[in-house]
Amino acid sequence: MLDYAEPVTRLIDEFKRLPGIGHKSAQRLAFHLLKSSQEDAERLADAIREVKARIIFCSTCNNLTDVDPCRFCANPARDRSIICVVEEPYNLVAIEKTREYHGAYHVLHGALSPIRGIGPEDLRIRNLLERLRPGPDGESEIREIILATNPNTEGEATANYLGRLLKPLGVRVTRIAMGLPVGSDLEYADEVTMHKALLNRHEM
Amino acid sequence: MQLLRLEAYRFRNLSGEIEFAPGLNILYGPNAQGKSNWLEAVYLLATTKSFRTSHPRETLLYGEQDALLRGAVIEGNLTRELQLLLAETAKQTFVNGKREAVTRYLGVLDAVAFTAEELEVVRGGPEARRRFLDRGLVATMPAYLGTLAEYNRILKQKNRLLRDAADAADPNRFIPQIESWNDQLVRLGAEIHSARTGYVDRLRQALTPQLFGVETVDIRYRSALEHRGDLSDYAALFTERLALRLRNEIASGYSLVGPHRDDLEILGDGREIARFGSSGQQRSALLLLDLAQINVYNQAFSEYPVFLIDDIDAELDRTRIETLLNHLEGKTQTIVSTSKRALAERYGARAALRPIAGGRVVASATLELRDKAIDDEKNRGKNDDKNDDKNKDEIGAVGETGETDAVRAEAAESGDEEARHRAPF
Ligand SMILES: [Zn+2]
Repeated sequence: MLDYAEPVTRLIDEFKRLPGIGHKSAQRLAFHLLKSSQEDAERLADAIREVKARIIFCSTCNNLTDVDPCRFCANPARDRSIICVVEEPYNLVAIEKTREYHGAYHVLHGALSPIRGIGPEDLRIRNLLERLRPGPDGESEIREIILATNPNTEGEATANYLGRLLKPLGVRVTRIAMGLPVGSDLEYADEVTMHKALLNRHEM
Repeated sequence: MQLLRLEAYRFRNLSGEIEFAPGLNILYGPNAQGKSNWLEAVYLLATTKSFRTSHPRETLLYGEQDALLRGAVIEGNLTRELQLLLAETAKQTFVNGKREAVTRYLGVLDAVAFTAEELEVVRGGPEARRRFLDRGLVATMPAYLGTLAEYNRILKQKNRLLRDAADAADPNRFIPQIESWNDQLVRLGAEIHSARTGYVDRLRQALTPQLFGVETVDIRYRSALEHRGDLSDYAALFTERLALRLRNEIASGYSLVGPHRDDLEILGDGREIARFGSSGQQRSALLLLDLAQINVYNQAFSEYPVFLIDDIDAELDRTRIETLLNHLEGKTQTIVSTSKRALAERYGARAALRPIAGGRVVASATLELRDKAIDDEKNRGKNDDKNDDKNKDEIGAVGETGETDAVRAEAAESGDEEARHRAPF
């Protein structure tokens, strides 16, 4: 027997498929929508429909975009000789927020994880290698690749994998530094972060 | 540090609370009445782990969804309240009534437990000994838990990869991937190796090798890479061995090189105690190791952890008990359990006696209780209340629990309150 009328149960079931949403949250979201106006609900439905219809992956960097190439790849003001490699589009957004980086990007859409069955063939590595291919003058236009995968075991393994793959091609490969979050008190760093920060200390 | 009081709700068969005194506390009563469960509860409150089981649902009173332990701990002049909520798949930790990440909860109360399960350290395989070392290290160096958890996580990933490679038509194509995991394995493995060897040095210096008589106990960390090259540059040797044994690892589908293969050598009069020691020697050796662990802890923090001894008379003879209790006097708060009323009476003058029946402290041991204790004594072994589950995965610092500690640490790092709520055991 269904707990609620069938359309309500179906909506709850759909919410439960989303990451991080359990039964209680799904129920709360469904009832919120039931209480909201027709327009509000339509707007949400339209937004979902539109994002699926209009958003594609950039054929150069795999970023989410509505035009191909994306606005980063198409922007002539950006330095195309540096590529920053990230796992997900939202990692790109985080770097972009610093307004410090003016190079190009490459989104892998994931990280290596044998346990979850994710191997190199499941990441978008092939078109990264294509970008490194030498131009008509025999020189690759890429000078440096910055590996900005996440500082967890999977991100680290992915960076190591790419490093081993890319270095023999003669390109400079760097890894972003990990450590204490800047602008916060030492007191708020947990033991693991603190431990890593101490290990990776440098000369003054 | 000292545990002042412990309350238990819906935890096994326990009910009510126990007030603990400084120094020696003796919980006594017939078997299967809850003495050992109280000790388990103290250990859980301190470490969030059970010394009997890695499955928290087993500690819940039958039919209940969760259990709650609450205790007051005094250190110096500061009293703090710890609260541990155990649910079927998760646990929540509170300090002074406020939700606190487990990394900040640990260390308020520390405990070392001498139990039948822990005898695996002196009789079982290397895994139990590695766990013993890791447990001691975590207490003196909380970040070590993160290192271990990460190492185990990588090991799990690499093992899966090796299995996939072993099953594949072309195993060679997995090599670049395997090597990318090896990079991290070496870095963390070197950290673990150096932490463990350092800890064994400190333990060794803190040993009182002849406390229990003539046999001399000594220990040594035995790396699986011994005699394979220069151990003083562990990372380089580890890297070299990984390269050399890559084919074997792929063929076997399992990680063959690393500190997860190391051992702690425990020698009694120069001979390996797990193989050649008598059961009495093994018990003495384990006690000495526990005492050394307590001493190392004391050197680090000028404090003593709470020392728990489950079923003291089953594990130790009269002279050893006497020696041990004298040795501990004025040092640790010691909580022991026994089914022997005679033992409780013998130490009655210098201990706080807590008669236990039906899962709670009873006003005084009634005659009936004494009779039941005598009956139980006769039936010992048949209805022993402490051997129902000898799950070996208890520390979990190595293994899955360690990994979830990392999940929790990550959650703490990102300030993700939700993730902390979801953190499984
Ligand atoms: Zn693009």
